[in-house]
Amino acid sequence: MNIFNKLIKNFGKANSIALLICIILLLLEFAGDRHGETEYEDFLFFPAFFGFISCIIIFRIGVALRAVFMRDEDYYDK
Amino acid sequence: MINSIPPGLVMFLGAFLVPLFPHIYRQFYMIFLVLLSAISLFSAEGSHLIIQVQDIQFLLHHSDNLSFPFAIVFHIAAFLVIIYGGHIKDWREQLAILSYAGAAIAALHAGDLFTLFLWWEATAFTSVILIFGGKTYRAYRSAIRYIVIQVGSGILLLSGAILLFQSNNEAIFKELDINSTAGLLIFIAFGIKAAFPFLNGWLQDSYPEASEAGTVALSAFTTKLAIYALARSYAGVEILIYIGALMTFFPIFFAVIENDLRRVLAFSLNNQLGFMVVAIGIGTELAINGAVAHAFAHIIYKGLLFMSMGAVLYRVGTCKASELGGLFKYMPITAVCSIVGAVSISAFPLFSGFVAKSLIMSSLGYEGLTFIYFMLLFASAGVLHHSGIKIPFFAFFAHDAGLKPKEAPINMQAAMVLSSVLCILIGIFPSLFYQILPYSTYYQPYDFSHVLSQLQLLMFAVFAFICLWHFKIYPPELNSTVLNSDWFYRILFYKITNFFVIRLFGLWEVFSSSLIKVVKLIYVKVQTSSIQSGNSAVKVGRSTVLILFSLGFVLVCNYLLF
Repeated sequence: MNIFNKLIKNFGKANSIALLICIILLLLEFAGDRHGETEYEDFLFFPAFFGFISCIIIFRIGVALRAVFMRDEDYYDK
Repeated sequence: MINSIPPGLVMFLGAFLVPLFPHIYRQFYMIFLVLLSAISLFSAEGSHLIIQVQDIQFLLHHSDNLSFPFAIVFHIAAFLVIIYGGHIKDWREQLAILSYAGAAIAALHAGDLFTLFLWWEATAFTSVILIFGGKTYRAYRSAIRYIVIQVGSGILLLSGAILLFQSNNEAIFKELDINSTAGLLIFIAFGIKAAFPFLNGWLQDSYPEASEAGTVALSAFTTKLAIYALARSYAGVEILIYIGALMTFFPIFFAVIENDLRRVLAFSLNNQLGFMVVAIGIGTELAINGAVAHAFAHIIYKGLLFMSMGAVLYRVGTCKASELGGLFKYMPITAVCSIVGAVSISAFPLFSGFVAKSLIMSSLGYEGLTFIYFMLLFASAGVLHHSGIKIPFFAFFAHDAGLKPKEAPINMQAAMVLSSVLCILIGIFPSLFYQILPYSTYYQPYDFSHVLSQLQLLMFAVFAFICLWHFKIYPPELNSTVLNSDWFYRILFYKITNFFVIRLFGLWEVFSSSLIKVVKLIYVKVQTSSIQSGNSAVKVGRSTVLILFSLGFVLVCNYLLF
């Protein structure tokens, strides 16, 4: 109980609930036969891993591309 | 009799009577026309209205199992946009919405390429009014660029149709050969409207500049008409798989860095079109069903997202993520509807995006296109990032921007709630939804494996975003312009043209001044001889030189030609 209180205090209520859902989804992997459209997806926790990493990659590339594609708001009006 | 009238025609023609009706009665009149147009949908498959003009046959009303689902969702979209724009008092915008929707629906029922061309251009000319409806100088300039590109697409379509007619003596709107010149021209024409990579600049340039209701209407018809045209003429063309995969991939990053939330949605629209294009490229029955289902669901949830951002724009006056935040307290219904749209586009189970996108992903799996499959899976996480999280989070939550707007007008709320209900109903009853698709194939999207995989993918992507935000790694949104493919013609082409035009004028300057010198020299001699003979002097200017030069040019041409 103390761990949950600490988690909610440090991470926020909504964030903690999201984390809890993620943990439940990982545990559900053992409740049935999960298989994907391709054989790679059959690895344990593959979709979870893929979703997390994809989001981080998109964020990293997005931040890097700011330097290349971002201009002043009135760029086309000059 | 009524069944032979092409659906959409009554809407298109009836739109011109819109100015005669006062404000509220106008909405009822417009809804009546949409319902009247929908009656023709239930005519049997085949060609119903054919007009022969000299050698050309215009198939004005052709319906089949492919046009049917598109026609249904176009009518639904028209109905929702009319309700959403119910507060608009400007009859020009109402006229544009109704005639644009009518033209798009009529285009779906074109049986030949000449008829398609007529409606293709009609959608361009009616939709541009909606961009002018933004009523800003930026909107005006964007509308000009938009119409040039749209008409250009129509000219390519017409050129292809003429070439096809010359070789086949007919220009039926059916499967076309991409390897022929006619087929290629028409493919590019469709590709422009479907916002293929590097042909997509017009979409992100113009859609966010239109009025609130205008953007919702624009998001529904033009691009989906192109998807329909591709599905009819180029199903199974392999290159579409790669084009579509690129379309799903690149807009994600642009959407992530874009600050204007309606422009984020325009990038997201491009990404969603990519899924449909991939499915058309695969071309199997399951894949075509997937493309149509995705187009159907997409029109509703994307419209819903544009509606929610339009409501924010209407109440707050801006749609920039950097200036929004904390609106949930003041616009709760808009926020909830926006979340429904966001969850649908992210393809969470029990929402429309899931039952539509699953068809496409499964067809990729069945065909063994593993690399493309993972590109689209990556793009799915991207969709969640920019449309599923960024849109509702930055508008309604994030930080409190100190804004205290009223909730959206009641008509906007009604349209958003109706759209949300449709998103949920499609998600809950997929078997009913699948019945209107072109092919009757059995598909079950809800099984343990599929649902768990999707939930893991999405929830862990959400969790990644939470971590980035919570630990303050996610950078703040900035007021900025994100360069897109329209940069090529707005900046690069402009600079190149400018460079050559300046040099051309420079050359003309050198040429004309030397010509003046020569002519002056001749005149000085004439002057000298005139003064000597007692006549007055003659002044030589540029106009004189120009007239002399033109006369000389005409004389030389005359001599050479005749």
